[in-house]
Amino acid sequence: MQKGFSVTRSFQVTEKIYSGFIEIFNDKNPLHADESFAREKGFHSKVMHGNILGGFLSYFVGELLPMKNVIIHSQEIKFSKPVYLNDRLNFSAEADEVYDSVNAVVFKFKFENEAKEKVASGKIQIGLI
Amino acid sequence: MNVNEVLSRVNVIFKDVLDNDSIVVVEKTTAPDIEEWDSLSHIQLIVAIEKHFKIRFTAGEIQSFKNVGEMCDGILKRISQ
Repeated sequence: MQKGFSVTRSFQVTEKIYSGFIEIFNDKNPLHADESFAREKGFHSKVMHGNILGGFLSYFVGELLPMKNVIIHSQEIKFSKPVYLNDRLNFSAEADEVYDSVNAVVFKFKFENEAKEKVASGKIQIGLI
Repeated sequence: MNVNEVLSRVNVIFKDVLDNDSIVVVEKTTAPDIEEWDSLSHIQLIVAIEKHFKIRFTAGEIQSFKNVGEMCDGILKRISQ
């Protein structure tokens, strides 16, 4: 893979994803599950779990790259703005560092909402196995 | 930069990547000497070393290193290119 290789994709945080995340991981913190609590804390609505974006990252690595022989070595993500139910997020990632000696690539990525605000960004290192 | 300085910097990288402040690498150190140094952490070590020294190794170079000392020699060689 060459430095500069890029991927873009649109994701939506649907009710199915949100409720499925709660059902599976049981994180019912009121910021995520209680509309009035979230509003009291200054948010427009229930805030989606940040790690839902981790699921989209998993999809990116597992399904959107041009090869299937990949594993995630590490990832870091910074959350900049809240994501709400049914938000549509534009995801983009670009190969920023390529380590041919050990078949590793570091992607820089970001998620933007429909208002073009960056809601999250970070780096993810993958290995080709 | 001499080999001792490279070794010192490599030691810091090992401690950071392997998350163990007690690690001390010497020229003769090999993977079996350090419990945390497995095949996956080896990749992280090489990535961190290449990034720190702003160099790139070939797969052949990596495979040729018999111990940390040879790795440091390889780093010095790449830095001087």
